[in-house]
Amino acid sequence: MVNRMILNNILHRPIRTAVSVLAVAIEVGMVMTVVGLTTGLLHETAKRVEGVGADILVQPPNASFLFAFNSAPMPIKVGERLTQIPHVLAVAPVLFQFNSVGGINIIYGIEMESFDRVTGGFVYHSGGPLAGPYDILVDDWFAKANHLKVGRTLNMLNHDFRVVGIVEHGKGARLFIPLETAEDLSGARDKASIFFVKCTELGYSEDTIAAIHQLLPKYQILSIKDYMSMMTSNNLPALNAFITTMIAIAVGIGFLVIFLSMYTTITERTREIGILKSLGASKGYIIQVILREAGLLSAVGIVAGLGGSVIVRKLILAYFPTLSVDLTMLWAFWAALLAIGGSLLGAFYPALRAAQLDPVDALAYE
Amino acid sequence: MEPIIATQDLKKIYRLGKIHVPALRGVDLVVQEGEFVAVVGPSGCGKSTLLHILGGLTGPTSGSVLVDGNDFRSMDDADRTRFRRHKIGFVFQRFNLLPTLSARHNIAIAQHIQGNGFNPHRFEAIVDMLGIREKLDHRPYALSGGEQQRVAVARAVICEPKILLADEPTGNLDTENSQAVLNMIRELNRSFRQTVLMITHNPEAAAVADRIVRMRDGRVISD
Repeated sequence: MVNRMILNNILHRPIRTAVSVLAVAIEVGMVMTVVGLTTGLLHETAKRVEGVGADILVQPPNASFLFAFNSAPMPIKVGERLTQIPHVLAVAPVLFQFNSVGGINIIYGIEMESFDRVTGGFVYHSGGPLAGPYDILVDDWFAKANHLKVGRTLNMLNHDFRVVGIVEHGKGARLFIPLETAEDLSGARDKASIFFVKCTELGYSEDTIAAIHQLLPKYQILSIKDYMSMMTSNNLPALNAFITTMIAIAVGIGFLVIFLSMYTTITERTREIGILKSLGASKGYIIQVILREAGLLSAVGIVAGLGGSVIVRKLILAYFPTLSVDLTMLWAFWAALLAIGGSLLGAFYPALRAAQLDPVDALAYE
Repeated sequence: MEPIIATQDLKKIYRLGKIHVPALRGVDLVVQEGEFVAVVGPSGCGKSTLLHILGGLTGPTSGSVLVDGNDFRSMDDADRTRFRRHKIGFVFQRFNLLPTLSARHNIAIAQHIQGNGFNPHRFEAIVDMLGIREKLDHRPYALSGGEQQRVAVARAVICEPKILLADEPTGNLDTENSQAVLNMIRELNRSFRQTVLMITHNPEAAAVADRIVRMRDGRVISD
């Protein structure tokens, strides 16, 4: 009976219902998209670094695991010392360059030979390896996003680079230039930002890390497993603060709209509340009716928001193919919980107000 | 036999800011179970206030009110709500049906609120007696005034209340519908020994009752 009354009330006021549902949908969609984008980007970046195929990452002292924040490179000769450590199969020095053309990216300055030894070599969609100083390799996602083909010129770092190959994504960066060119452009001759170290067998990586620690005591040495576990928003306080702020804004929107919606509903339906009271409906009954109505609006909004976030994800990937959006069941659950919580909280005061209405005044309400 | 309604020196004063407005100035009224009592009087004489107090919609300022053995002096708002749910049926001048529910559900919601579940036998008997079977699936806006008031009467008596309180039940109806609604209330009173207390301006409506109580300036002036 109550369900029927709630459903009829919702259908009886389609504009109010649509606005409330939309607000909750925006709330859920915003939470899902913001979290999906941030975790997606982190996850995708981490997967790309993992895709290099190295077992160990060697960085200068105090370097960040976020490569874009690293500025002080190491002498490239360190690489030669690393190759002499037992169980080291290959070492690839890479010098990072920060790029903001065609999206924000890190360019890897690489030596083709050593990088191929660690990675097992690029998979070329078209073209071939780097040969000249101003050649560039781009991955297929970057090429698609920027409509690039082999032979095209790409202006970045104040120079024209010739696209010589389009490679399968997932090998660290989206853009690769020769190491020497990267050194020239950054004025860091014979320097590297990171060494990717591949062991003869994965089982040797702990021993190898210990050996590298002995050799380079102050350096930052991470197994790829440790690196992957660090690439979460929990290890990035600023990102966590951003996500929390966005979630708070989203929940605030849902809360306020449901509050206003239910508040105006109570005013509009004062007489109906008076009728229920004249029939002997208790305060609890009235509160329950209002909260269940808010809950139903919220539930429809959650479904719409989850569906909307899938559509937004598709649109983001269509227009920005280099981005990544991770929509997870866990966050769908959290977004739904936040939306329901916000809605019930928003509806609680109006519900309480309705329950406390004087029945005689409510029945006389015009 | 104990009267079903007994008030003694019943007073109700409304406080509007610093102004005190006495609505009831000491009402003594006794109604026996199964009686059909009409309360008449000019506007502002306190009839509606008396009805609201007897129905537990508002509390008295002073005096005693005993309704079916319940002493209102010892009852709080929640107690009066519970009392209203189980003992009182209201019929209002403006019908007061829930606009989003059909006639059927407007009647059934009273049973739902009471919490004793749907009683199909009672429902069928009331629906047939009031002649609203054909209108059960209509919403209030699709019913005439007379039909709406019959649905309201059905809703008021579906839970077998001890007392039916009717506030100008014919005030918004034409003569023909007024007579029909009054006949039905009379029939309910006779068939089910339903105690009825009806307030009205209409002398013809009052004439249907067993007894007429006249009020003026918050007091009973004749009984």
